[in-house]
Amino acid sequence: MIFQREWKRNRKALIIWSVILGGLIVGLLSMFPQFAEQQESLSKMMEAYPESMQKAFGMDELGFGTLMGFYGIEVHMMTTLLGSIYAAMLASNILAKEENEKTIEFLLSKPITRNQIVAQKLAAVIINLLILNGIAVIASLVGFQFAEGHDVPYKTFALLVIATILLHFTFAAISFMLSSMMRKTRNILSISIAVVIIAYFFNMMSGLSADLDVLKYFSPFNYADAANIINEGAIKALYVAIMAAVILLTVFAAFIVYKKKDISV
Amino acid sequence: MAIVELYQLTKSYKNNRGISDMSFSIEEGEIFGFIGPNGAGKSTTIRTLLNFIFPTSGSATVFGKDIVKQSKEIRQQVGYLPSEVHYYDDMKVIDLLTYSARFHKNFNAARMKDLAARLDLDVSRKIEDLSFGNRKKVGIVQALLHEPKLIILDEPTSGLDPLMQHHFFDLLHEERKRGATIFFSSHILSEVQKMCDRVAIIKEGKLVRVETIENLTKNKVKNITLTFEKAEPLYVELEGVIKQEVNANEIKLLYSGEIQELLSKLNGLPLHDLLIEEPTLEEIFMHYYES
Repeated sequence: MIFQREWKRNRKALIIWSVILGGLIVGLLSMFPQFAEQQESLSKMMEAYPESMQKAFGMDELGFGTLMGFYGIEVHMMTTLLGSIYAAMLASNILAKEENEKTIEFLLSKPITRNQIVAQKLAAVIINLLILNGIAVIASLVGFQFAEGHDVPYKTFALLVIATILLHFTFAAISFMLSSMMRKTRNILSISIAVVIIAYFFNMMSGLSADLDVLKYFSPFNYADAANIINEGAIKALYVAIMAAVILLTVFAAFIVYKKKDISV
Repeated sequence: MAIVELYQLTKSYKNNRGISDMSFSIEEGEIFGFIGPNGAGKSTTIRTLLNFIFPTSGSATVFGKDIVKQSKEIRQQVGYLPSEVHYYDDMKVIDLLTYSARFHKNFNAARMKDLAARLDLDVSRKIEDLSFGNRKKVGIVQALLHEPKLIILDEPTSGLDPLMQHHFFDLLHEERKRGATIFFSSHILSEVQKMCDRVAIIKEGKLVRVETIENLTKNKVKNITLTFEKAEPLYVELEGVIKQEVNANEIKLLYSGEIQELLSKLNGLPLHDLLIEEPTLEEIFMHYYES
């Protein structure tokens, strides 16, 4: 019941985000053939950029000339960043909204346990994120059709997709925990978005200088970094483990907090 | 069988007053009033019974089931009307009512239509467009729709016009006939006096007493008006006088002592008229709160 309700309530946002993200992906990939053709002149132009800037965007390790390189620099950035913002917005609202708008008094008076409320809302977050990622994958597969003559390395692509989903789940789980603890949706939303943006800048800055290299361990964006995955042909087990641990712990905390807390509006 | 039973139920807060040591029980088929001024702990008690908040100590049962451990089963059979009704703004009235009924796994469209019609509620309207009073009606239908065994109403009449209140009280009487027990919190005494069989009076988070309405009003306490021939600067000094007001040649007493003693005391006074009446619940109530 709650799942269906959340599904309906969040459907419009999901459609908007899917259209924007899908459109961006197809649009970007449609430009790939031109990039590939002018690869030589492009690489020269790239060299003109300061080295630190190239590093910050991962352009030093990936080339625009290969399909995955282009995907890693242009598209992966969109799916990871925009998707993470969507994940944070979706999850930060979902539990606290009921308290913020005082509808929780209605919901709690129904024969349903708190665990069921949390579980169904969590399921709605998971399904919405999987659908957004599904749309992104479909848009990418459509976009790859522009790259005639270039093989699509599906294994690498699959790894990038998995890393992206894990990243989205990580931010969603953190926001979900905040949503179980706090009441004011506006505050939760601000914190959740800030977490995403700060993590994104940590990852960018870590590329800028060796002194800041340590920052990368604090940014999930680094865990899903396209250059690492494409060049190594794998997601580092440590990074997967960290993300899985964060997801499990925060979700577990959300269940515990919500079950124990006094809810009075 | 007791439908609701509280054993020294306590909820303390760091800053706010909660409730302490609350013990009473509500019998099956009763309309039980719960009365006290705002902030006395009425809503806190109700929210604890429904497990929105957890008791600090003590315990309570509803239908013999523990309010914390078996809350879900309890709520299957409870209809609750909160003092402030807040619903999902994007829903229509009918959406909210079906959503509510599906949790209870029984949706009776005929009953919904009947309840809505009797309260003059248009179910096709959007909730966000409704006035306060109309939202309250949605809350009432929502609370009664699934034919609950226990109906908990927190200040149900605020926002309803007198005609609607009348319809609403009729509905409650029918629910009681159906076998429902009703727990009715209010700070309006006249409606409690009209509706309830027994009443719990609470003050500053503590139970003052539980009494039948009959005993409260018909028991010892009397309103006595003495009228004299002319203005007498006089006080009646007698044990059992709770309150006295002197107005020109009239003295009003709230008296809870022996009637014999009063009469012998009055015997020597130059009385013009004497009136002995049952006090209203308001007057008794004020007595509990003034002390």
